[in-house]
Amino acid sequence: MIEIDIQLNKAEFQLAAKFSVPAKGVTAIFGPSGCGKTTLLRALAGLEQGAVGEINIAGEIWLDRECCMNVNERRVGVVFQNPSLFPHLSVEQNLLYGRKRLKKHSKLFDLEEFYTVLGVKSLLARSIQGLSGGEAQRVALGRAMLAEPKLLLVDEPLSALDQATRHQLMSFLENFFQQIDIPVFYVTHSTEEVARLADNLVLMNGGQISGYGPIQQVLGSIETVLSSGDAAFSVLEGKIAKQDLPSLTTVRSSCGIDLQIPEAGGASVLGRRVRLRIRARDVSLCLEQPKGSSILNILPAIISDMSTQPHEGSRIIKLDVAGEQLLSKVSEYSVQQLNLHKGLPVYAQIKSAALLS
Amino acid sequence: MFSPSDISALAITLKLAATTTAILLVLGTPLALWLASTKSRLRSVIEAVIALPLVLPPTVLGFYLLLAFSPRGAIGSVMAASGLPSLAFSFWGLVLGSVIYSMPFVVQPLQNSFIGLGSRPLEAAACLGAGPIDRFISVVLPLSKLGYLTAAVLGFAHTLGEFGVVLMIGGNIPGQTQVLSIAIYDHVEALEYSQAHWLAASLLLVSFLVLLLIYSANKRFSLVKTP
Repeated sequence: MIEIDIQLNKAEFQLAAKFSVPAKGVTAIFGPSGCGKTTLLRALAGLEQGAVGEINIAGEIWLDRECCMNVNERRVGVVFQNPSLFPHLSVEQNLLYGRKRLKKHSKLFDLEEFYTVLGVKSLLARSIQGLSGGEAQRVALGRAMLAEPKLLLVDEPLSALDQATRHQLMSFLENFFQQIDIPVFYVTHSTEEVARLADNLVLMNGGQISGYGPIQQVLGSIETVLSSGDAAFSVLEGKIAKQDLPSLTTVRSSCGIDLQIPEAGGASVLGRRVRLRIRARDVSLCLEQPKGSSILNILPAIISDMSTQPHEGSRIIKLDVAGEQLLSKVSEYSVQQLNLHKGLPVYAQIKSAALLS
Repeated sequence: MFSPSDISALAITLKLAATTTAILLVLGTPLALWLASTKSRLRSVIEAVIALPLVLPPTVLGFYLLLAFSPRGAIGSVMAASGLPSLAFSFWGLVLGSVIYSMPFVVQPLQNSFIGLGSRPLEAAACLGAGPIDRFISVVLPLSKLGYLTAAVLGFAHTLGEFGVVLMIGGNIPGQTQVLSIAIYDHVEALEYSQAHWLAASLLLVSFLVLLLIYSANKRFSLVKTP
C-alpha cells in the first residue's frame, strides 16, 4: 500500500491530503486546475519545503514525524508538465543521468529493449534541442524510469502537446504503464485520461481529497465533484467477445453483460482486454422495454442510488446492470414524471460507448 | 619601448588581475547561488553592499581599507599582534582591495546566470538522485558556462583598470605594488608621453580584445542556452 497523509501551508492555499492506494497500477489524481494536484505531487517528491505528515511507499518511509528524506534520497521518478530535460546533455546522457547515480541496479533492465519500447532508439545521439514535444516527454519518462523509482509521479504530461501528438502519447502511455510494475501517480484534469489510464482514482478539490479508491468505486459514488458535473461517466472493463453481427463488435464485460459497439477496426482482436467509457448523459432510462429503437444497447437495470439534489436541472442516477455499475444523467422533470426511485427496475438505453483501448 | 619598471608593472598587474579573478570566482559562486535562491530580507542588504564599489569613488574604498589595515588600524593591529605581515602597501593588500572593488563584476553575472537557469533543472536532477554538490557540478556549472566566462572576463578586465584603490592601499612601490595604471600616471606626471602612450595603448587594446571575446562568445553560446 501507499499511504499518504500530508499537510502543507502555503501563502495561497492549504494542502491537506490523506489517502491510501495499492502500490501497483496507475492512480489518477483528478481535479480542477488550481486544486493543488501539482503541489501534492511536488510534496510527495520532496520538492515542497514545509510539508509535514506521513508518506509511506510500500513500507519505505519518506516522511514522518521524525524524519524527512531529501529529494535525492527518495526513490521517486518525476515527469514534469514540461519535460525539463538537461539541455547540455544528449538524449542518451539524459536517459542515463539517474541510472548512473543508482547505488545498485536491482532489476535486470535490458536497455536496448527499453529504448525500443520507449521509441527513442533513433534519437539517442541527438541533442535535446531538436526533439518534438512528444519525443521529449518520452525521453523524460524514460529518464525517470531508468532510475528505478519506487513510485513514478507524472504531472499532466500531455497538456503541453498538440492534439495529434497527445493521442499518440496517450496510447503509448496506456501500453507503457501496463508493462511496468511500478506504481504511477498520474495528475490530470482530463476525464478521458482518467478513463483510459487509471486503475485507482483520487479526487481533489480545494487542496483536499474528496474521494479515493478503485476507479469503478470512485466513479460510482454519485456525490463527488466528478459525477455531479457534466463530465460524469462510468468505466466498464471487458473483452472483445465476438463479431458475428455485421459492422458491430461485441464487448463482454467482466460481469457478463454484452454491449454492441460500432466496429472498432484493428483494435478489435478477439479476446483483447478493453475498457469502455460510457458518459452519464449518454444513458437514458425507460420504464418499459422500448421497441424499434435505433439504440443498440438496451439493458434491464435497477436503480441502486440517486443524487439527492438536482444539479443544473439534472440528477445522477446509479444503475445496477447485472452487477455492473452505470451512471445515468436524467432531467429532474423526468425523475418526477417517471417517479424514479431507489430499487425501481428500469431499462437503460446506452446511446454510445467509447472503446478506450 | 617598455622600461624594466614598466614590464614589472605589467607583470604585477596581470598577476593581480589573475589572482583576484580566481579568488572572486571561488567566493562569488556560493554568494551568487545564495543570492539567486534566497528569499531572506538580508538579500537586498548584501546586494547593496556588493554593488557599492560601482558608485563609490575608488579612493573612498581605498581610504577605509588603508585605515583598517594599517598597523594601527582595527584589523591591522590584530593582525600585527598575531604576527601576521601587514597588508597595507603589499601585494596581498592590493589583492584584498581588488577583490572588494571588482566583486560586483563577478557576482552579478553569476547571479543572473543562476537565476536564468531556474529551479527546474536542479529539481529534475535531485529527483534523479543527484545530491547538492553533484547537482552543481553536473547541471549548474555546464549550464552557466557563459555566466562564468562573463564573470571571469569582467572581473579580470576591471581589475586591470584599477587606480584609486590600489594607489591608496598599495602605495606606489615599483616592483611591488606599482600597477600599470599608476605607472602610466607616473609617466604622464614626468612628461614621458611616449612611454605613457605605449602602456596606455596596450591597455586599451587588451581591454578591447577581452570585451570582444565576451560579446562574440555571448552570441555563440546563446544558441545552446536553455529555451
